[in-house]
Amino acid sequence: MTDQPLWITYIVGFIVLNLLLVGMAYMTWAERKVIALMQDRVGPNRTGPFGLLQPIADGVKLLGKEDLVPKFADKRVFIIAPLISFVTAPLAGLVIPFGDTVTIFGQEINLYVTDLNVGVLYMLAVGSVGVYGIILGGYSSANRYSLLGALRAAAQVISYEIVLGLSLVGVFILSSSLSLVTIVNEQRQPLDFSLGGLDFSIPNWYIFSQPIAFIIFLIAAVAETNRAPFDLPEAETELISGFHTEYSGFRFSFYFLAEYISMIVISLLAASLFLGGIDGPLADGFWWLLLKASIFLFFYIWLRATLPRFRYDQLMGIAWKVLLPLTLVNILLTGLIRLRGNDQISLQAFLITGGVILVVVLAVYLASTRKQEAYVG
Amino acid sequence: MSAEVLVFDILAVLAVISGAGVVLARNPVHSAISLVVTFVNLAGIFVMLRAEFLGVVQIIVYTGAILVLVLFVIMLVDPDDLPDFHGGRPLQRAAAFVIGLMLLGEVAVAILTRTVVGQPGPWSEEFVLEQGGNVQVLGQFLYSGYVLPIQAIAVVLLVGTIGALVLARPDEPVGRPRPRHTGTISLGHPRGAEGEFHEPLPLGAGAGAARSERRGEMRGGIIVVTDAESYSDRPAWELEFSEPSADSNDTSYADDGFGVGKERNRS
Repeated sequence: MTDQPLWITYIVGFIVLNLLLVGMAYMTWAERKVIALMQDRVGPNRTGPFGLLQPIADGVKLLGKEDLVPKFADKRVFIIAPLISFVTAPLAGLVIPFGDTVTIFGQEINLYVTDLNVGVLYMLAVGSVGVYGIILGGYSSANRYSLLGALRAAAQVISYEIVLGLSLVGVFILSSSLSLVTIVNEQRQPLDFSLGGLDFSIPNWYIFSQPIAFIIFLIAAVAETNRAPFDLPEAETELISGFHTEYSGFRFSFYFLAEYISMIVISLLAASLFLGGIDGPLADGFWWLLLKASIFLFFYIWLRATLPRFRYDQLMGIAWKVLLPLTLVNILLTGLIRLRGNDQISLQAFLITGGVILVVVLAVYLASTRKQEAYVG
Repeated sequence: MSAEVLVFDILAVLAVISGAGVVLARNPVHSAISLVVTFVNLAGIFVMLRAEFLGVVQIIVYTGAILVLVLFVIMLVDPDDLPDFHGGRPLQRAAAFVIGLMLLGEVAVAILTRTVVGQPGPWSEEFVLEQGGNVQVLGQFLYSGYVLPIQAIAVVLLVGTIGALVLARPDEPVGRPRPRHTGTISLGHPRGAEGEFHEPLPLGAGAGAARSERRGEMRGGIIVVTDAESYSDRPAWELEFSEPSADSNDTSYADDGFGVGKERNRS
């Protein structure tokens, strides 16, 4: 990390924000193409080669649409709400490291906008502010469906934000840092060990040491971005698009942009936290990060093409009854193993505590499954 | 004027303006939005004081969770049911004014006597960095020296949660036993929490009788209705107060497009 003049940081930030916007545009194109392939259709193919100009055509179309404000809407809030969503979505991308440093014209430049020492928490905080766009949009539309969608979104995002945050605690324990740059750098040191006379060297990516956390994070991330199969806030069949029913033209597209940008950002985050970010074979660099993020984005599209929507009580049940207890167990075990690894507790204490934890978890699990027969729903 | 002072001025002025907005706004939702803006600006000031962790946690906890719930409640309550926002008897208003002034004086005295006169503490910026950083120092403090208070707070919160659960439990059934409502408005199903799709909560003595009262059940994904009266088109929150009776059904029972109404006419 090098100190650099503020104006260079501004330029890097500008580039990152614009990359996110372009990425979002082509994310919509990719989504339509992939879903079309999965459904044995062709997808957009009229504008440009392979329909590559389709996002631009869509943007122009949305700009030309009539901009309606419902008569009984709370006008100021109605206008501000989509902007809140749109502004907060790319902000989280500012702490993602896209590489180390490059030297251009004799000036060393960090390939990230800023290295906050609470980087990951900052992303969670920005995401939680983004909920206001949805809630206020639903409230100000003066439409029952919109309000219902907004309430669903609020409950869903709050629940899954807890799960999302707690699933990362294991990573924080292992890397003893909240800064994304430090977390990525920790993962770039290869893990050498020998087994049966053979020397192995595997990447120290946290997906290997925190597999439970990774899966929980993935599920919570889908719910956090309101994507299928957790797209309850905008369920077309029940709520006629939920919170953005009354939005049209470019105000609607702000929500659209926000959704896709937060998908990209959370994919970048997942790649940085669990898959080593810019770390990869041959040469480290941002191409590895982009490749890993693309895998996550493809996974998002795949989910949408495959799975039906959850029911609302199922959605809440997964968060509070399954994922949250799992994250807590994961934190306990990770902390215990970390203590043992630092030689802060003896082997006996480690085994006894681990055994107690496992027994308690098993007992609670058995008790809860018996209870659930009585309390269906 | 250095950039830092300029940023602080902007944050402080915005925080004060939006703080005034909380009190002055006519619409409670606008008040809540103003409070959000205040909290975000305060978080900015925390970050400027090199307390990044505090600033971010302020946003996550207050802005992201608590105020969302406050907004939730405000949006669900009918504005007509709220007490008059700027009303109150003259005496009440005068008392509120005096108490507010006293509070202001208290804060002013605290600031003037402590911050300016007192000595700077040992936790300078460099010292914190030496100890490993903001988060690390806070974590060590909270989980070594202050374990007991932290646990006590956790217990208090747990008691609060359990208390809310007890309060939200529905009362004993009145009249004929019927499937119990879960006491929440289900946002998941257009029929609300009518309880026909779930087992009723096993509460009270009427629960067993209520279960035999069920006349519709789920078989292989299809709801089999043996008696049309076991379903109604009313939202769940109305059902809590008025049971749909047989004669009122004929006027209010509209075909909801799912063929349920027609089904009833035929039988």
